[in-house]
Amino acid sequence: MNLTRWYAKAMLSNGSLWFWAVAFMAMWLGIGAFLESQGVGTTRSAIVAYTTSWYAVIVLIALSLLAAVISGSYAYGSSALAYAFRYSRLTPTGYLASLVGGSALVGLVLNVVLLGATAGMFGLRFSTTLLPADPIALVGVSLLGGVFFMALSSTLALLAINHLGLRSADFVGYVPLVLAFVLGNGQVYVAFPRWFVYGSPFNDLTSLLYQGFSGSSATVELGAAAVSLGWVPLLLGILVWTAGLVGCTLVLLRRIRSRNLEERRQI
Amino acid sequence: MLDVRGLKVTFAGATTPALRGIDLRLDKAKMVVVGANGSGKTTLIRAVLGLVPPTAGSIAVDGKDVRTIRGEPGLSTNLAEIYRLMSLPVRDLVRLFALLKGGDPAEMEGHLRAFELDPVLGKRLYELSTGQQKLVGDLFAVCFGPRLVLLDEPFDNVDFARRRRLVGLLRALPADILLNTHELELLGSFADWQLGLMFEGQLLGPFSVAELDRLYLTRGDAPEALAVLRTSVGLFSVTRDAGDRPVKSATSLTALVESLA
Repeated sequence: MNLTRWYAKAMLSNGSLWFWAVAFMAMWLGIGAFLESQGVGTTRSAIVAYTTSWYAVIVLIALSLLAAVISGSYAYGSSALAYAFRYSRLTPTGYLASLVGGSALVGLVLNVVLLGATAGMFGLRFSTTLLPADPIALVGVSLLGGVFFMALSSTLALLAINHLGLRSADFVGYVPLVLAFVLGNGQVYVAFPRWFVYGSPFNDLTSLLYQGFSGSSATVELGAAAVSLGWVPLLLGILVWTAGLVGCTLVLLRRIRSRNLEERRQI
Repeated sequence: MLDVRGLKVTFAGATTPALRGIDLRLDKAKMVVVGANGSGKTTLIRAVLGLVPPTAGSIAVDGKDVRTIRGEPGLSTNLAEIYRLMSLPVRDLVRLFALLKGGDPAEMEGHLRAFELDPVLGKRLYELSTGQQKLVGDLFAVCFGPRLVLLDEPFDNVDFARRRRLVGLLRALPADILLNTHELELLGSFADWQLGLMFEGQLLGPFSVAELDRLYLTRGDAPEALAVLRTSVGLFSVTRDAGDRPVKSATSLTALVESLA
């Protein structure tokens, strides 16, 4: 049973998601384009590198906000899911497939909107046309990013719901956001070792987004030299993480516990 | 068909059990369970739904252990938390649950019109009044061909005219029904149904709602007792035609026990 369109509709009609993942992130793009860009060189390559760095990190954080929304939906829906798996035609596999489809679609929508905002604002600031070098690759990375963050937030939320309680579920909802913020920005300012970037799904995504927009490989510093990151290991890294987390989600979803919403009160 | 045997539920951290050995069989029958707030009525429904793990005993629906049931759409409920699967307008939730239950959304849309609830179709559950939320849950429970319906306080915050309509709907529904209420004055509408009395996690019965006028509560373990209630203030017997206090005379079973204690 496929509920993809229901899930996509529920997520896309979430006003908070549009505010935080689109409007708030677009504001940061504006800051990057108009306030933080004073020292950027005038060469095309410098402008593209600067723009792409902002775009990649902002999309990563926007996708992590999608994760926060999904995490919250588990807290509200734990009883509904525990009931539906018993007393309706809904199966954990079908539900997860719907989540995969819905979050991939929403990931794509977020990326397209932020891509437009990036191209518009940075293009205006630098008086040049800034379009993605490989839009097809960006579509693929967006879909994959949506699924990865869905699987990460699902695993964390279900671990909390099944074993810790709803108060913990509230806190774990922020973990993807914190990791995306720290690791996404970290890649811009810190010389992460190559193995770390390949092994970190957040940096795999950032690097692939960078490559898809700029057409050049993301780099890491190795001694005094900059070394390009290969797209194959980056793609493999995010695929392995996503597959592993989807598997964990399925196992946890089969054992979902009903939690009373009143548990969620923090004070 | 619902078969509950020796069901005990103790919540984590609780010193007293919420359910203390419930035995209940519902087969081609409708039962009203009467009890005060906190007596365990909702916990019983949540346990049957698989939302509360039993500490001891068993629950079987159509012969299958609740813990192993998967993909059986025949059991429904009016508990609002069940319909929070996604944050969608009621119209979409109706279509979603019709799909999940294998029913026709037009059935529920027709009931919503009959209850003059069409305006809720475009709203989300949290935008509805308490009474509207309750009624929407009630209508979800009776739609899409359920074989067993579990209703928790279905008349709470519902106005008189809609209560009457709902009573008619429940009486005509071709399904087993377990209906929880703390409102004794409603029982007259269900005279031909079975009656269960819930007190401090114990379910007494089944009696008949029609014989409610003949049921008495007597302090102690009476030899002619139909059922014995073990409470924190001692033993009480449910007797027929004679006893200390008529069950119907009290606003709740708790008040009755307290008046005798």
